[in-house]
Amino acid sequence: MAAEDLSYATIRELSSRLRRGDLSPVELTRATLERIERLDPQLHAFVTVTADRALADAKAAEAALARGGHASPLLGIPVAYKDIYATRGILTTGGSALLADWVPDADATCVMRLQRAGAVMLGKLITHEFAFGIQFPGHRFPAAKNPWDLDRMPGGSSSGSGAALAAGLAFGALGSDTGGSIRGPASFCGIAGLKPTYGRCSRAGVLTLSWSLDHTGPMARTVEDCAYLLEALAGWDPTDPASSREPVGDYVTPLGRGVRGLRVGVPREFFFEGIDVEVEKAFEQALAMLRQLGASVQDVQIPSIQAAGANMVIMLSEAFAYHEHDLRMHPERFGEILRERLLAGGLITASEYVQAQRLRARLRGEMADVLHTVDVLATPTSPKPAPTFTAVYDPEYGFPRGNTSPFNLTGLPALAVPCGFSSSGLPLSIQITGRPFDEATVLRVGHTYEQATDWHTRHPKV
Amino acid sequence: MTLEELRDRMRAARIEIPEHRLELVRRLLTDALQPIHALDSRAVRTLEPAVTFDAERGRDDHGR
Repeated sequence: MAAEDLSYATIRELSSRLRRGDLSPVELTRATLERIERLDPQLHAFVTVTADRALADAKAAEAALARGGHASPLLGIPVAYKDIYATRGILTTGGSALLADWVPDADATCVMRLQRAGAVMLGKLITHEFAFGIQFPGHRFPAAKNPWDLDRMPGGSSSGSGAALAAGLAFGALGSDTGGSIRGPASFCGIAGLKPTYGRCSRAGVLTLSWSLDHTGPMARTVEDCAYLLEALAGWDPTDPASSREPVGDYVTPLGRGVRGLRVGVPREFFFEGIDVEVEKAFEQALAMLRQLGASVQDVQIPSIQAAGANMVIMLSEAFAYHEHDLRMHPERFGEILRERLLAGGLITASEYVQAQRLRARLRGEMADVLHTVDVLATPTSPKPAPTFTAVYDPEYGFPRGNTSPFNLTGLPALAVPCGFSSSGLPLSIQITGRPFDEATVLRVGHTYEQATDWHTRHPKV
Repeated sequence: MTLEELRDRMRAARIEIPEHRLELVRRLLTDALQPIHALDSRAVRTLEPAVTFDAERGRDDHGR
């Protein structure tokens, strides 16, 4: 396998080669570190590269493989973590000047679980400032760039995670998602990203943006790789108050069962407002493919879907509550855009916050009703492809309305999967959403579609 | 939300935002609060403030 192919190999392929002994974890890790050293200076996906740690992890994986008996498919697989996940003894900045020197004394639960599964830690991936701001020119941490077009954003806030995976700098990554921060970068970077059900994956040790909307989850180049990562991540964590005791399923085995007989619902209202023509065309073609694969597709109604704006009210209010002390004591240590967004949260009244939660309950109920009649929902992940930095840096650029936040409000599992390219070569994406804790069906639909197309096999010229 | 209302809220919350950024904040809040202000609060059932899914009930009622 050529070096380039190795960089874009899947976890399944790598795991098989590592077990056969025709590739060693140390070789794989060295090749990946060399690629990071060569490409990351222009991509800025990594804040910290933990080369020594990666090689130590790789050697430990090599020894475990030699001993035999270690069943984890992640053994020896190089991965990286969004820099809001605490890592013991390793700088964790949150993309913020406020935490530029913070070295945690414990790992986040998700980090601990992937490391226990034998993953190799490559380093920490840049995040938008506290998972909500944007790194403007002159920020202490430069913004990650989109490997498909360096003049464009990779999405956010898991910007480094999206960029690193698209550029073949890691084989799996952790993201976090409060309004779409896993699925947005997955959409803009042409990779897969899963926001699991609220409570499925632990948030312990992850910097908070909004307690009731924050989700952690996997990002990878294929749906199957997301499933492998989810199997290691999912499960009850007593240190996360929102963690669920719902038993963890088998996410990989059901992937091959296809979609014949499954019912796909398409909510047309809200999700197609302001949509790019090429995004809509790619989405309709994806629906046609799902029909061809045996699924039935029908339009569905979610009467209160316009209430999805409540997500922003809740996020702003909770984010202000989390950051208020630092905002008042050290306002200069926040980027200007983030500071204003957070301060806006302090201007929302208690009554408005409560009403937003009430709207949320209504939306949850309606989506639950719809998911009695269909097995999954399908929507475009993002209404438009990745924007340019020039557009985003314009002071008049508003906070974009997304198709992802309704599923943070409702806590439902939602997956972004590549579904085409724009005429200018930018990735497009379909979002599959399912019932609470039914990640298996969501992944199965995504995997079946993905394997019937070749979008996920295309890679940027970096 | 008018700029005057925004300034009133800033005074009440003891929050300062540069004058040249007020219009952007006003727009952000106006968009975010639109569904809240459109709500007939009497028409919405009682609710719990956090999203959690009960493991026992989840399979039948999809988390409600």
